[in-house]
Amino acid sequence: MTIDVSALSEIEQDVIAEIANMGVSRAANGLRQMVGHEVLLSVPAVNVVTREAAARLVERGGSSKLVAVQQSFEGPFSGRALLIFPAAQSLELVRSIVGDEHSLEDIIDLEHEALAETGNVILNACLATIANVLRQTMRMSLPTVVRGDGDKLFGVQSDPAEGNLVLFLYIDFTVKNREIRGFIALLLDLPAVAALKVIVRDFVAGIEQQAEGHVG
Amino acid sequence: MLDSVRVFEYGAVFDALDIGVIVIDERRCIVGWNDWIARVSGCARDAALGRAIGDVFPTISDTRLPAVIEDSFQFGSSSILTHSLNALLPLHGEGGAELLHNIIVRPISSNLANFCLLQVNDLTVSVARERVLRERQNARYHAIVDFAPDAIITTDMDRRIQWVNGAAERVFGFAPEELLGKQIDVLLEDAGALVAAVTGDKPKEGERTFQVTGRRKRGAAASFEVSLARWKADERSFVTTIWRDVTERRAADFALRESEGRHRALSEALPQLVWTSGADGGCDYFNPQWEDYTGAPTQRHLGSGWLDVFHELDRVGLAAAWTASVARGTVFDSDARLRAANGSFRWFKMRSIPVRTADGTITKWFGTATEITELIEARDSLLRSNEELEARVVERTREREVVLAQLYESQKMESIGQLTGGVAHDFNNLLAVILGSLSLLKKGLPDDPRTSRLLEGAIQGAERGATLTKRLLAFARRQELKLEAVSVQKLVPDILDFLRQSVGPNIAVVIDTLPDVALVKIDANQFELALINLAVNARDAMPNGGTLTITCRNKPANELQEAPAPLPRSDYVRISISDTGEGMNEATLAKAMEPFFTTKGVGKGTGLGLSMVQGLTVQSGGAMQISSAPGKGTVVTLWLPQARTEDLAQPSATLSTQGIDDACRKLRILLVDDDALVSMNSAYMLMDLGHSVLEASSAARALELMESDAQFDVMVTDYAMPKMNGLDLASRIRRIKPKLPIVLATGYAELPPSTMISFQRLAKPFTQKELAEALEAALNAGN
Repeated sequence: MTIDVSALSEIEQDVIAEIANMGVSRAANGLRQMVGHEVLLSVPAVNVVTREAAARLVERGGSSKLVAVQQSFEGPFSGRALLIFPAAQSLELVRSIVGDEHSLEDIIDLEHEALAETGNVILNACLATIANVLRQTMRMSLPTVVRGDGDKLFGVQSDPAEGNLVLFLYIDFTVKNREIRGFIALLLDLPAVAALKVIVRDFVAGIEQQAEGHVG
Repeated sequence: MLDSVRVFEYGAVFDALDIGVIVIDERRCIVGWNDWIARVSGCARDAALGRAIGDVFPTISDTRLPAVIEDSFQFGSSSILTHSLNALLPLHGEGGAELLHNIIVRPISSNLANFCLLQVNDLTVSVARERVLRERQNARYHAIVDFAPDAIITTDMDRRIQWVNGAAERVFGFAPEELLGKQIDVLLEDAGALVAAVTGDKPKEGERTFQVTGRRKRGAAASFEVSLARWKADERSFVTTIWRDVTERRAADFALRESEGRHRALSEALPQLVWTSGADGGCDYFNPQWEDYTGAPTQRHLGSGWLDVFHELDRVGLAAAWTASVARGTVFDSDARLRAANGSFRWFKMRSIPVRTADGTITKWFGTATEITELIEARDSLLRSNEELEARVVERTREREVVLAQLYESQKMESIGQLTGGVAHDFNNLLAVILGSLSLLKKGLPDDPRTSRLLEGAIQGAERGATLTKRLLAFARRQELKLEAVSVQKLVPDILDFLRQSVGPNIAVVIDTLPDVALVKIDANQFELALINLAVNARDAMPNGGTLTITCRNKPANELQEAPAPLPRSDYVRISISDTGEGMNEATLAKAMEPFFTTKGVGKGTGLGLSMVQGLTVQSGGAMQISSAPGKGTVVTLWLPQARTEDLAQPSATLSTQGIDDACRKLRILLVDDDALVSMNSAYMLMDLGHSVLEASSAARALELMESDAQFDVMVTDYAMPKMNGLDLASRIRRIKPKLPIVLATGYAELPPSTMISFQRLAKPFTQKELAEALEAALNAGN
C-alpha cells in the first residue's frame, strides 16, 4: 500500500462528498417519510485517513464516549460502514426522530432500536448510492449498535488485514431546528480503496464527458 | 449412511416458525407466506400468494416498506423497520389485540434468482412487559417527582435536558418541549460550578448541592439550591438535578444582610460614637469612632466594661440610669463625661433606644454618644452670666433706688424752693410797699417821739421781714448774688470778733488758713452770713463749750478726691467749719439740710441756716458737705470755686457818693410795673425825690409811651411782668434809645444767668435810698 493510494486529490474529495451528499439526501427522504417532518442531512467534508487518525477525529468533540450504528457490506468491495455520534448526542438524535412527546424512559427504551433504524436508513442510503454509482450490487448486513471509544469503533487493535484506511465523512443532521454533528466512516480493505478510486475516476470522467456535451 | 439420514424438509420449518415470513420475488409478487403471518394478518396463504404486498396491505403505501423492499432488490440492502418509528402492518394477535412488530427486510438469493425476505417479529409480549414494569415504576416515581414543589430536571452528560417534571414549568415558565434537548445553560444566569459538576469527567459520587442563580423564561433571575445526583441507564450516564427555589429566602437573607450592612455603614459613618446592646443591657458593639475616641480596644468595653471609661463622678448615676432604662424599656438619655484617649474628659450625651420586634419584645438597644462639651460649657456660661446679670440688676436696682431717692429729695427741695421763692417774691413786694410807705410816712409826719418810735418799730419789723425773705431766697438759690473775688484769709479775721461774740466765751475759735489761699468767687455779704450761721450752729452743738475750727485750703482741680460728686472739675478753695460737739446720728444728718429742719427748740431758730448755706454755695458754683457722727462733732465743708482773673477785674459794686447832685435834679421817669400797689409806692418815692413819674402798667404800654413824643430821662421797670418781661422791654428800649438809662428791679435771681445784663439792677424790696442810688448809678453808667 502506498501513500498516494490514501491521498485524495481535491477533485476526488469533492466527488466523494458529492456522492455522499447524494446518499444522505436519499436517506433524508427516507427519514422524512419515517418521522413525518423534514430532516436535513449534509456532508460538508470528506477525507481518507488511517484508522488511528479516524479514532482521534471522532473523539475530537471532547468525549470518548461514542455510539455507532454499524453495518458490514460485501460485493465488489467489502468493509464496514459506521454512523458515529458522541454518546451524549445519541439521545438527542433519537428524540429528534421519535418526537418530544416521549418520556425519557421511553426514549432510553427506544434508543437502541431507533438508533439502529436511523443508522440503517442513512447507511443504506449511502451504500446504495455508491452501489448505484458503481452499477454493482452489494450485500449489506443488518445494523448493529456499538458503544465505545474511537479505538474500539475502528478496531485499532484488531487485525490489520481488515485494511487500514477509512473514508471519513462528516455529517450534519438538522432535525426540528436541532443540529447534530456526526460522522460516517467506511472502513475499506485495499481492493475497496482501489475500487473506490476507480469509481471516483470514472465518475470524474463521466462528469467531464457530460461537460463535453455527451449524454451521461 | 446417507440413506439412514432423512432429508429434512425446510418447508416444515417455514410454517412452524414463530415469526412471520414473507418472500417476494423480483416481480414484487408474494411467493412465500407462512402460517404465522397468515394467522396474524387474517389473510390465508392462498389469498396472498401471487399478489403484490401493497395489495394485501394497502396501508403500507404510507410507510417506507415499499422503498425498502425496492432497495433490497436494487442494492442488496438490508433494513430494519421498528414499531416505534413506523406504523407497519395491520396485524392482530389471538385475542384480537394489535400486534406490535418489527420488520426486517433483506435480500436473499435462491437458484440465481433474487428474492426479498420480510421477517415480522412479534414484540407485543416484551413491549407489554416493559410497559407494565415501567408503569409500575413510574407510578411511584411520578407520585414523587410530579408533585414535588421543586423543579426536577434530568440531563445527559452533554447537559442537554432529557426530562423535566411538572414543577419545572411552574418554576421556570418554560413548557417541557421548550426545554427538552436544550442545554441546561438556558436555565442558568451563569453556567459555572453546576455545569462543571454535571459534565465533570470524574463525578463525585452521591448527592451534591449548589447555590446557583437561575433564569426564568421571562428573564427574571432566581436563586436556587440545586441538588445533583448521577445515575446510569444502559451504559449511559444521567444527572438529575432538583432545583429548590430559594429566591425569596435569599432575597430575605440579602435584605437582612443589606439591612445589617446599611446599619453598620450608617453607624460607622455617623460622627457620633455608636454602640449597641443586647436586651439584657450588655454592650455588644461599638463603632470605630468609639474606639478612636477612647483609644482602648472595644473588647474591654463589652458587657458593662464601658462604664469604666466614664468619669468616676458620673459612673454610678450613669449605671443606675442605664439599668433603669433596660428594666423599664424606656429611652436612655444621660449626660456624662467620657474619657478620651489622652485622658481628658469631654461631656457626652448618652442616648439609647430599644429596638423591638413586632410583638414589642426588646431585642436590642441602639445607642449613640454625642459630644456636648460645648453645649455644657455654653449652658454653664449662660448660668454664670445669668447670675452676673441678676447681681447687676440687684445692684442697678439699688442704685436706681438711691437715685430715685435723690431725685425725690431734689424734687422735694425744688418744690420747696419754688414755693419759698414764690412766697418770698410776693412777700418782698409787700415789704417793699410797706417799707416805702413807712419811710415816706416818717418824712411827712411831725417829729413826735411816740409816733417816731412806733414808725421805727414798724420799719424794723419790715426790714427783718426783708432779711427773712432774703434767706428764703438764698435757700431757693434765687437771691440776688453779687459774685466777686473775695479773699477768705482777709475776710475771716474781719469777722472773727463778730464770730467770737456769736459763739460766746466757752468756745474757742481757731482759724487755720494758709497765706496762699486763693480768692474765691462769692457774694461777700452772703458768705459772711453763711459763716455766722455755721458758727451759731456749732455753738448750739457745743452747749458745754468746745473748739470751733475754720480751715481754709486750696484744692486745685487735680485734688478733688474728697469733693462731692457733681462738682465740676475746676480749682476750688475748701473751707471747713468743724466743731467738737455732740455730732449727729445718720437720720439727723440726712435731714440736716432740709429747710425748716432744726434740732433747736421751738422759737430758737428758723431751720433755714444750713439750707441757706447750701443754697449759697451751689448758686456760687460750689458745694457743701456735712460729715458727722454722734460724739465726733460735725464738719461742714464748703467747696468754693477759685476766682478767675476776670473776676478780679470786676470791682465790687461800690456805692458812689458821686452824682448825688444829679440825683437831685428833676428827672422825667417812666415807671413800668404791673403791680399797681408797688407801682404807686415806687412812684411816691420817686416823686418824693423830686422827679416826675409817668406810670405804665405793662411793657406794651411802656413802648407806646416811649414811641410817643414823651421825653424820659430814665426808665425804671419791674422784671417780672406778664407777656413781655422787664428785660425784654429794656432790650427793645435800648435799641430805640440807646442812651436812655434803665433801672431793672428784680425780686430774685430770675434772670437767665448766661445773659449779660448791662442794665442797672435794683433788688426788691428797696428803700427810697436804694432807689435813689440805683437811679444815680444808671445815670452815671449812661454817661
